[in-house]
Amino acid sequence: MFLRRILPKVLKATVMGFLWFFLLYALPKLLLSELVEEVLPGFTQMLSTFAIVIVTVAVISELLAGTIFHYIFNIGKTLVLMAFFIDALNGGFIAFDLETIHIEADLRVFLAMLLVIESVGLVKSLLKATDFLAKKTERQLAFLD
Amino acid sequence: MKHAIRALGWATAVFWILVILFSVTVVYSAMQIRMNRVEEEPEVTYSNGAITMSIPFSISNGGLYDISELNITTHVVAENETVSRTTTQVPTISRGDTANETYDISVSLDHILANLTYMLFIDTDLEVEISVALTYAHAIPLKISHNETLQWGAPFYNLSINIPPVSPQPANASVSFENHAFFGLNGTIGLQIMDSSGELIGSGTTDRFYVPPRAPSTSLQVTIIGDLGDMAEVHLYFYTSVFSFGPVVMSFD
Repeated sequence: MFLRRILPKVLKATVMGFLWFFLLYALPKLLLSELVEEVLPGFTQMLSTFAIVIVTVAVISELLAGTIFHYIFNIGKTLVLMAFFIDALNGGFIAFDLETIHIEADLRVFLAMLLVIESVGLVKSLLKATDFLAKKTERQLAFLD
Repeated sequence: MKHAIRALGWATAVFWILVILFSVTVVYSAMQIRMNRVEEEPEVTYSNGAITMSIPFSISNGGLYDISELNITTHVVAENETVSRTTTQVPTISRGDTANETYDISVSLDHILANLTYMLFIDTDLEVEISVALTYAHAIPLKISHNETLQWGAPFYNLSINIPPVSPQPANASVSFENHAFFGLNGTIGLQIMDSSGELIGSGTTDRFYVPPRAPSTSLQVTIIGDLGDMAEVHLYFYTSVFSFGPVVMSFD
């Protein structure tokens, strides 16, 4: 009985973990060549740190599906992603050197777009949490009646 | 509540698709921009005490977005002193368009004569910072800069004057120098010979001369009228089509 209940959660958590790992670490590593590490030293290290945090939070969140903690971890995951975007884009101002050429890019508009998306995701997670609590309360009230 | 959550889910998905599309197309488009030097000799002009070198170039915007607010700035520094700062503004280059522009580098000779006189006589290194600022896709401001060291060629390099020690009347002197500059010299040089008490004892002016850019040693003959028995100093005055300058004092010890 316990296994039947926990196994789908573990499976889903594993799939979600792999998915997030692929999206946050494997895919960027695949797309961004070694040049990125030369241009922005420490980027791969930062990417792997954030990938570990996000994958851990995503796995825990899936394991706790059906509880309020699932939504809390989802909100946490969104906040960590927002922090990652701000840190990765250095607050919107990126500067690096390509041999003797110095390049500065102002990516604040791009960062704002990413943060808006994550904010929408955050609102969605909050609404889901509220919905979950409302339904739980309704069930408890129905049980008391 | 369910509908609102679903709507937010769709909105997130659509936003993500738009952002990814935008990112990919921006990177692709940026790789389609070409900046070419036009195969024309740079034009050198003189006006208001400044030499301006006009370099033609073209920018081809083969990308999907416009290039706007494009500024090219050159900052030239010699011995921590600004020699020139020139900015060329290029109007918006729409996607698919090619802009043919001229980039001007202006060096103020008045400024050199007033503050950097040694540059007339000594070759020196110029630190040149070229920076290109632009806004891409009306959303991403970019600044690309590059530092380079250029050689400044002095127009009167290795300037020397030769006056025979015991001169007949009139004396035949010679002024020699090398024009290492990128511009030609057209004019005359005046000489005033002073004695030890600072009194004028002789003078002369060269014939009008033209020395092409980057010319080897040039020697100009001057006939000096006066008694040069007690000469102590020579004051040189340069009158060229580009600038006038003097006196440059050379002592005979």
